[in-house]
Amino acid sequence: MVSNILEGMVGIHIFYVIGLLLFLILFIVIVVRTMRRPAAEMNEIKESILIENDPDESKTT
Amino acid sequence: MENQKFYYDNKIVKYFILATIIWGVVAVLVGVLIALQLAFPAFNFGIEFTSFGRMRPLHTNAMIFAFVGNAIFAGVYYSLQKLLKARMFSDVLSKVHFWGWQLIIVLAAVTFTLGFTTSKEYAELEWPIDIMIAIVWIIFGWNMIGTILKRRVQHIYAAIWWYLASFLGVAILHVVNSFELPISLFKSYSIYAGAQDAVVQWWYGHNAVAFFLTTPFLGLMYYYLPKAAGRPIYSYRLSIIHFWSLIFLYMWAGPHHLLYQALPEWVQALGVTFSIMLIAPSWGGMINGLLTLRGAWDKVRDKAELKFMVVAVTAYGMSTFEGPMMSLRNVNQITHFTDWTIAHTHIAGMGWNGGIAFGMLYWMVPKLFRTKLYSEKLANTHFWIATLSILIYAIPLYWAAVTQWLMLREYTPEGFLAYPIFMETLTHILPMYTLRIVGGVMFLTGFLLMVFNLFKTMAAGKVEANELSEAPALVPKGARNPMTETIHRWMERKAVRFSIWVFVALFIGGAVEIIPMIFIKSNIPTIDAVTPYTPLELEGRDIYVKEGCYTCHSQVIRPFRWETDRYGEYSKIGEFVYDHPYQWGSRRTGPDLARTGYVSGPMYKNAAWHYNHFMDPRKLNDQSIMPNYAWFAKKDINLDLIPNKIRAMQTLGVPYPEGYDQLAVDDLIKQAEQIVADLLNSGIEIEPTKQMVAMIAYMHKMGGDIEPASTLNNDSHENGK
Repeated sequence: MVSNILEGMVGIHIFYVIGLLLFLILFIVIVVRTMRRPAAEMNEIKESILIENDPDESKTT
Repeated sequence: MENQKFYYDNKIVKYFILATIIWGVVAVLVGVLIALQLAFPAFNFGIEFTSFGRMRPLHTNAMIFAFVGNAIFAGVYYSLQKLLKARMFSDVLSKVHFWGWQLIIVLAAVTFTLGFTTSKEYAELEWPIDIMIAIVWIIFGWNMIGTILKRRVQHIYAAIWWYLASFLGVAILHVVNSFELPISLFKSYSIYAGAQDAVVQWWYGHNAVAFFLTTPFLGLMYYYLPKAAGRPIYSYRLSIIHFWSLIFLYMWAGPHHLLYQALPEWVQALGVTFSIMLIAPSWGGMINGLLTLRGAWDKVRDKAELKFMVVAVTAYGMSTFEGPMMSLRNVNQITHFTDWTIAHTHIAGMGWNGGIAFGMLYWMVPKLFRTKLYSEKLANTHFWIATLSILIYAIPLYWAAVTQWLMLREYTPEGFLAYPIFMETLTHILPMYTLRIVGGVMFLTGFLLMVFNLFKTMAAGKVEANELSEAPALVPKGARNPMTETIHRWMERKAVRFSIWVFVALFIGGAVEIIPMIFIKSNIPTIDAVTPYTPLELEGRDIYVKEGCYTCHSQVIRPFRWETDRYGEYSKIGEFVYDHPYQWGSRRTGPDLARTGYVSGPMYKNAAWHYNHFMDPRKLNDQSIMPNYAWFAKKDINLDLIPNKIRAMQTLGVPYPEGYDQLAVDDLIKQAEQIVADLLNSGIEIEPTKQMVAMIAYMHKMGGDIEPASTLNNDSHENGK
């Protein structure tokens, strides 16, 4: 029902080579950009979830 | 700015918590039942509704979608509101989501017991329920995204990225894998055939693990672990890198479930490569989780919820290392089709999913009910029982896997298989199956302790259904200033844009894997000798699917000497072009059945043998653990559906002649009468319309079309198997 639309698979490896390259480029960009973010900003974000209006933070014994 | 008052919806969280607990007990109970059935077949009770083939999908679906699913929703509904400082977008959507999901679970339990199944693992539900799942899932996403849009905080915390990715990932997977052609209210055929169906199914199966069992739980970990430990997550930078890497890579790795099987080489290579790459982001998450506890290990000593979370993160690390190792071809020889896979999934399920769910419940229930946990001692007892039970469950199964694999490939000095009968290898590992029951019962015991503890806690407190809180309104920050805001930081406050990029990351992996496999003709070389199923064989195949035979028997022979000597010629990709759905299976508790129809092969048995074997397998081998299928001799085929089935197959591309749907019943009866006459020669009387006759016809069809020296009629056969 959905097969036989394309004719051949010669050069199919290009699909995943392109995918890998995409990943590597994005990965490098994300790593570089992320590591350059100020530590103070990172700390502020991760600390934010611990600050809540909860009346009692720890109820368990 | 002046604070706005608003109310958290705690009632919906309570509902999901109760559903998690109740369905969790059911799922583990069914798990214990099927463990009993594998060691002692009497626990199949000789009736169709409780046979292993129907109970096993009930266990896996109850565990994944009922227990884990409700735990995800409980965790998400609680944390999302707190993180965004907003009530859920719509109370109506929350209620429809809750009751819709519970209805799906009930329908799943009923339909599996009645034998309505597509046979695609973890996606066995039939098409009307598939549609319900899609609707309820969209309602969940709608409610979640609506809440994000009306939030009172600028920044969308990392946990919510994982929730968004889970929503989008499951939506894509469920829709693509569920394309099926209905022929009645509870019967459909997958639109994909054979190898294509296998690739789509394991793209789904692998990523269901990713986007239902992993990413939402990583989201829960990013919220509940810091909250329970009272310390921020170790590295927010790592959470960004690990998020994007993980969601991008996971989608590509599905074919590692199909190594050495009838699949193009490039697809297998793709699966292995990306599986190995997955170790890095997975361990990024584990390291981030464990290092969050730096300086807080004293709390781990005292608090059961933290103990559970530590075991969960450790089990996650172990499983995400073991999984890629299992995708290596030489390791896969041992692990695939043996109990290794079962041990692996249970370490992940009981350790990672169970650990996070239990830890979250022990932390959340006292807070929600505004009281103390009834008994910390009982919670710690639960922890130790549950942790021990994982070991007692998994170690025997690893042992069983290696033992069976060694036996299966052992040859005598004369060059013959040392154990040519599959049953001989199974008999040796049955004691391990008994030990597994002990592990399962222990896990259930711990679970029941938690149920008691939490219900006592709930009884001592009271949920504030609408909890008052206040926060300043969100002031839109406007366009991005490149000098002060990075692109990612900007995206973190733009939920829709963020979701679009998540979708793109998910789509690339899926598209690269699925599109070439489905749309390129030369991936599936056809074989002239392979013919479509006759109406009787097709009916037999449908019964095979209905009874869940795939849960114990594979239908694909790998190109190893010990497999071809035992089962016959290795499987070719072109043999499965008429298989809607494919039936390759994932575990051999019984022998492979791909060549039961090849008369000169080692797996062929005559009609009388099959009749007696279905009636009572232990009459032929007293150590067999296969359930009885005596109802095959009593129940009739539904002849009214046969023309519909033929027309559906024609629509899917199976080359039956024009107008054959009108002749199909006559042909079915003719073939059935031949089998009846054959059985009569052995002194067995049966009517031609009984299910038994169809099953025998199907057994005599499988793998019988080709001779070992068959040639492929496609020029590009070197790309296939």
